[in-house]
Order: sequence, then C-alpha cells, then structure tokens
Amino acid sequence: MLTKEQSIVEYDFSRQTAVPDRLHQKTHGHYLGIANELIAIYHKRIGETRQAIHQAVRRRLQDVEDCPTRRIAAFCKLLDDASEYLRDESGSAAKLRRRIHALAAPMHPLVQRSDALFDHDEFQAKQSIAAELGIPWEEIEARLFADVIEFHRLKTPPDELDGGGLLSRYNVAQTQSALYGATTMTVWAKDDFKLILRYAKLARLMHSIARQGDDYVFQFNGPASVVRQTKRYGVAYARFLPGLLSTHDWRMKATILGPANHRFAIRLTDRDGLRGEVVSEAFDSELEKMFAASWEETETNGWTLRREGTVLHEGQTVFMPDFTLRHEVHGEVLLEIIGFWTPEYLKEKVVRLERFKDHANILLAIAARIDDAIPDLNIPRVTYKTTLKAKQIVAKLELMLSPCDRRSLG
Amino acid sequence: MATYPVGTMSVIVTFDQGTLSLQGFDRAAINQYWGESPWNWDPRTKSWRADAFFYQEVIDQFARMPAIDWADEVPDWKAITIPTRRFNTLRVDQLEALNCWSHSRRGVVVMPTGTGKTEVALHAIRDAACGTLVVSPVRDLMYQWHDRILAATGINAGIIGDGVHRVSPICVTTYDSAAIHMPRLGNQFKLLVFDECHHLPGPMRQDAARMSAAPWRLGLTATPERRDGRDSLLDELIGPKVYVQAIQAARGKTLADYDVVRMSVHLSSEERSRYESLGKTVQNYIYERRKETPDYDWQTLCGDSGHDPQARAAMIAFQTKRSIEDRASDKLRIIEDLFRLHAGEPVIVFCGSNAMARDVSIRFLIPCLLSHCRKRERQQILSGFKDGSYPAIVANRVLDEGVDLPEVNVAIVVGGGSGTRQALQRLGRVLRKNRFGRACLYEIVTADTRDEIRSRARRRNDAYRPKSK
Repeated sequence: MLTKEQSIVEYDFSRQTAVPDRLHQKTHGHYLGIANELIAIYHKRIGETRQAIHQAVRRRLQDVEDCPTRRIAAFCKLLDDASEYLRDESGSAAKLRRRIHALAAPMHPLVQRSDALFDHDEFQAKQSIAAELGIPWEEIEARLFADVIEFHRLKTPPDELDGGGLLSRYNVAQTQSALYGATTMTVWAKDDFKLILRYAKLARLMHSIARQGDDYVFQFNGPASVVRQTKRYGVAYARFLPGLLSTHDWRMKATILGPANHRFAIRLTDRDGLRGEVVSEAFDSELEKMFAASWEETETNGWTLRREGTVLHEGQTVFMPDFTLRHEVHGEVLLEIIGFWTPEYLKEKVVRLERFKDHANILLAIAARIDDAIPDLNIPRVTYKTTLKAKQIVAKLELMLSPCDRRSLG
Repeated sequence: MATYPVGTMSVIVTFDQGTLSLQGFDRAAINQYWGESPWNWDPRTKSWRADAFFYQEVIDQFARMPAIDWADEVPDWKAITIPTRRFNTLRVDQLEALNCWSHSRRGVVVMPTGTGKTEVALHAIRDAACGTLVVSPVRDLMYQWHDRILAATGINAGIIGDGVHRVSPICVTTYDSAAIHMPRLGNQFKLLVFDECHHLPGPMRQDAARMSAAPWRLGLTATPERRDGRDSLLDELIGPKVYVQAIQAARGKTLADYDVVRMSVHLSSEERSRYESLGKTVQNYIYERRKETPDYDWQTLCGDSGHDPQARAAMIAFQTKRSIEDRASDKLRIIEDLFRLHAGEPVIVFCGSNAMARDVSIRFLIPCLLSHCRKRERQQILSGFKDGSYPAIVANRVLDEGVDLPEVNVAIVVGGGSGTRQALQRLGRVLRKNRFGRACLYEIVTADTRDEIRSRARRRNDAYRPKSK
C-alpha cells in the first residue's frame, strides 16, 4: 500500500466527491509504454542501490507532461514492493561500523593535514584501517551503510509484472490510499455477499447488515465510529478493498474526510475496471487449515466439508460458522471452531450462539483450555488440545445421529 | 420524583475496544441525566457508546445520581505496590511540580529539558501505585523509560512496541503503538504518563488518550506549544497545565551555563556557482510566470509541479539548492576546527539531514545515530560515548528529544530546520550540568544562503537570548 505522500486524490467540492488518481487507457495511453520502461530500468539495474534506481525512474518521468512528483514516488513504491532488495539482515554493516569506529577512536580527530598537535590525517588513517581489515577503503565505504534503506541493493527485479499489471496495481493502490481518510463504507452486495463479509472480517471491520430488495446492505466501520467521525479504520478499508474488487455484483460508497474536514464520497462498482489481486488465503487461521487438511485424509462416512458455506441472519446480526458439514441423508451441520480469544470475544460469541442455536444444527469445537469459559448452551461440543482432528468431528457426528442423542437432523 | 432509567434492565458500563458501552438506559433517561451527553446510540450492539476517556466523567455523573444502582465493569487495573529501591530525593521545584499535579492527578507539567521531569514522573507513579502506562515519542525513549523504572523500582516493565508485545501492570510504549493497541489495553492502566506530550495531539495519536479509560493522566513537556495550534487539545486529553517552569528560570541552576557561538561558512566557488545557477533557474521560472500571474507564489509552483515539467524542474532546483547549503563541504572543515579546539572533551554533532550526518560520520569516522540504527547499535553507541571510548558522535533528529546524553558540554548544530521546538529540544541536550560547568553550543550555517535566515528565526526564541543579569 502507498503512503499518504504518494497518494493523489482530487476533491470535487461542488459534487462532494473524491476521485482517486486513475490512469485510464483512453486518457493515459502513453503510460503503458512508460510502465514497461520503468520495469526495464529495474531489470537493468540489479545490484544498484535503491537511491540510484529511484533516481533513474525520476529521470525517466521528469519530462512527462502530466506526471506529478507523487505519481513518480508511487511508481517507485509499487516497483519496490514487487522487487527484492538485499537488506543486510545479518547486520554486517553495523558490525563493520563498530569495528571501524573503534579503530578510529584513538586517532580522533582525523584532520586534513597533520601537525604537531594532531598527527592523524584522514587519508592515512583510512588507509591504515583498510590495510588492517584487508579491504580497500572504497569498498568499505560502499558497505558501511548497506543497511540504510536508500542503500539497499536490488536483488530481484519485478517478476511476472508487465506494464499493464503495474498500471492496474497503481490504480488500485491510489484508490486504497484514498480510503485511508474514510470514516465509513456502505456496500450493496448480491450473490457474493458471504465472500465480501469474509474479506471485511479479515480486515477486522465491524458491520451491520440490512436487506434492501435483492441486496444485502453492509455498513462497515469500527467500534468508535458511532462515537465520533474517525479515520481510525481507514487502513482497514484499504486492506479490505482488493478482496472486494475480486468479487462480483456490488456497489460501494465510502465517506471520506477531506480538506478542512469536508465530507466527500468515493463511489465504486465491480464494473469500474479495477482489478483486485488477492492472495487467496482460504483460512483465517493455521488451525482451520490443518483441520481442513486432516479432513482430506480421513474417511468421513459421506460427510463433506465446505468453508463458511452458510450464513444465518437475524435482524442486524449475522452468524457465519467456520465450516458447513453436509451429508446426503442427514443434511447439514454447521461447525464453529472457538480457539483462544479475548474474554470479550468469547462473551460476544456466547451471546451470538444463544441467538442462533435454534436456526440450524450447530456443532462447536472448543479449545480445551477455554472450555470452561463457554457455558452449556445446549449445543453439542467437542474439545481439542492443540489441533482439531477430522476423526473427532466425524465420531461426534455419528454420536449425534445415534438414537440416544439424536437431534432432528435434516 | 425522578423516573428510573429502564425498569427491569440493570445498568452496566463496560469497556469495549476503546469505547465505553452503557446498557440499561433509554433515550429519555440519557437526555434527563446527561444533558451534554457523550453517549451515542449504537444499533449494532444495542447500547450507548462513548469514547473511553469520558470514564472519569461517567463515574462523577453516576455519583450525582445515588438512586441508580450501576455496575462498573470498566476497570481491569489493579493496585500495586511499587518498591522504592533507588528513588532520588526531589528538588524543591520538582516537589512543587509533583504536588501541583497530585491535587487532581490530571494535568501537564512543563519543565525545560534536563530538569528531571522523569524523576517527577517516577514519584507520581509510585504515589499512584496502580497499573501505569508510560508513552514516549520514540523507541529509544521507550527503552530509556524501561531502564529508569528498573533502576528506581526494580520492576522489569512490560514493553509494547518495536516488535515486542509484553503487557504487564507497569508498561512502556510509544505514541504510535499506544494509538494502535489502546482499544485492547485501555482499561488496564489507571495512570497514563505522556512523555514529551506535545506529540499527542496528532490526528491518529490522540487515540492513545481517547481510547483509554485511565482517570489519572500526567503529561510532561518542555514545549507545550504546537505550530498547528492543537495544544489546547492537551487540556482536553490530559488536563490543564498544572506547573510551568520557564527555561530562563532553570538556566544556571540545574542546567549548565552555556555560550552560543555562531559560525558562518562560505560555499566553495564550485558550490557557489552551482548554488547561484540553481537559484536563477527558480527565479527565472517565477519571473516568467509572474508576467502573466502577478501573484504567482511558491505554493502555486508546488501545485503546478504536478502537471508542468518546468515547474517541477524549478522545484527540484530549489531542493538541490537546499541540499548544497546543508552539505556545504566547508562545514566539515569548521567541524574539524571545533574537534581540535575541544580535543579531549566529548562532542556531539547534530545535523539537519541523514545525508549530512553520514557525511560527517564518514569524514571523521565517528559513530552516527540515525533512525535506521537498531536498538542494540544505538545502545552500544550511547554507552561507548558515555564511557569515553568514542570521543564524538553525530546524530540527526533521532536524538532531538529526551534521550539521556551525560557529560556533554560541547554541541555543534549543523544546518537544520527553523522550528523553534526543534532548536529548543536540541539545546536541552547540551544544557545538562556536567563536570565542566559551562556548556558550549556552536551553530554552523552557510553564509548568504537561506541557512542564515533559518538561523535567525531560531535565535528569536528566548533560549538563545543572553542571560539577563
């Protein structure tokens, strides 16, 4: 994501809208070639410092009629993000500095020309240190600050990124950075509403939900949003955007606080041509991932597993269990995994489960050490120590179906 | 007779992610009991919500309505006993500052840098004897607080920030970390200490105070004024100024006497000719533009640089010009002269930019403290400087505020912005009373450039004025 210093937003005071910078094919066609050249600069300059590479990018863009400084900085940031630099993680530059400063300390001050009082001149001192270390002074100087960001050296240039891809990332990144100033966001969604909600949850946004005709209307914000206008959750909106962009059939309106605390709207739909690249992280946690993996390897007696297949809602509240277990004969059981969380989270969870327990067949998997914190809700449960095994769940399902403990399944 | 809020529901106030949540009141009751209400209705949770920092006000208000039985589930802080292993006795002025704050345990103490604000705060923490969070502007200061607390009390305080997340009843953190984590920590500390508290009023950083329920708050600063005028927010977020000591009053007593010596360097002929040609580029551009637009100014130029390559060239010329001033090679020669003059005394050099600090470091092979230095390197440099194994160090803004530098009586300020606060804080570093008695501050500026203008602006502050006898 970009910083504020790389962000370009145009505020239209008469229409009260904010328009993030956007490079369109029609109006900015010449940028496609430029973007390819910028990528080529990176490929040509492997081993050079970040500072030198950025200078080369600046030189290329300097005379482009319509390229503001911030746009130049944004390109550098996005290209850097797609590259890999040597960052001296072993701390060898710091070690080298320490060594050299220790060697130089007894000679302080290093003077231009030695005299009766001060007999260490700069040139001699540096040569003697170089000799001591067995490294030429020029090389020492080049390595001395290798851990400073500007002096990191390029290791791998952007891979699998072409000019079009760079421009597409640029457009998304500018919209994201405009959202840093957002105080609230409304999304009208249709079929993809579950996925959208999931991405919002991953971005740690709170929501309220309402039906409006065919649409689910989500209001996304955070706890403090009802108390005051706050940009506190702006970064969360920005984090949420690529996920939203990867889904279909929605429109979005965000309210952002612009200059002089005026409010402006950003509007967007799935047909606006922004493409979100999401690293598809299918699971919220390692625990869920391992459970799904163990499911693959286990004989499950006809039960199938789906990730967050079902959404229950009542009024303003929604409940999306982690997994849906389905059986041709026995029907559906919703599996909710409760791992280690804060007490507030658990309290809220209990309230939610109370509310929804009659809406569907629910099965809880609870971490053993918090088992006591969840009162008996009259919902079947299993407990696990560190990992949840598919075998355990299948066994419990069988038990739930056995005559003595049979509930009205399916 | 007053009606009760809502007949059957009990009244409960809880802490929820940096806010207070109130259940059991209906709208009419809120209006009746609160008037100017901090409460807002939250349909998501079906409760009233307010910023956590209203907590004290909420308690006070409930105290005025004894008929209402309410459950206060906010505090998660505990009383603790703080051992006084190595507490220094407070001086009269420090004691006065502590007393002024202790009346309400809410407010800002203004004392010049180097007068022992930390001691005042340590006593306040011991007297309060409760969960305490100390918030400082940068990592170095956070670790320094950690060390001071350890030395004074033997408590190994928790650390939140710099990649560490160890929460304990006494904790240190930075403004940024506090703002990020306060929704989860806001009811664990009854006392907040804001060091260099003029940093608090930033739009995001305010949350460090707003999202905490702590009824007790202590702000420490040498310079409460902010250029953006946001300092009145300190009143709201921490409390009023309860004690103010002027730098003039402190000078000579606790702080060392000091001399300010200003030295001009001239650009080399090569630098001068580049400097002038760059200046012409800027001037010519503005001159040309003013033919059409008489009030064309610098701000318009910055705006134009977005779409006009010529404006951009003018802006780059201006920036290059500044960099020539900043890094004038003659400055290195003057520094050499001062190193010679003060041979055998610890000297610290402050630079206006990282680039200049590195220039100085490479020229004299002395350690430089820059923002990229990791914790261990910083500590190693500082301790090496303290024990005399490094004769001199160079720093950029990292060391501007608060970081303890013992036994320094010679400081050289090279270039730097004109900000009054920055200069004042820098002075604070040198002004510590030390075994040499007098302190010496040198300022090196480039003659006939904007560097000089900035220096004049700096001197307007009373810290630079000669002591009135």
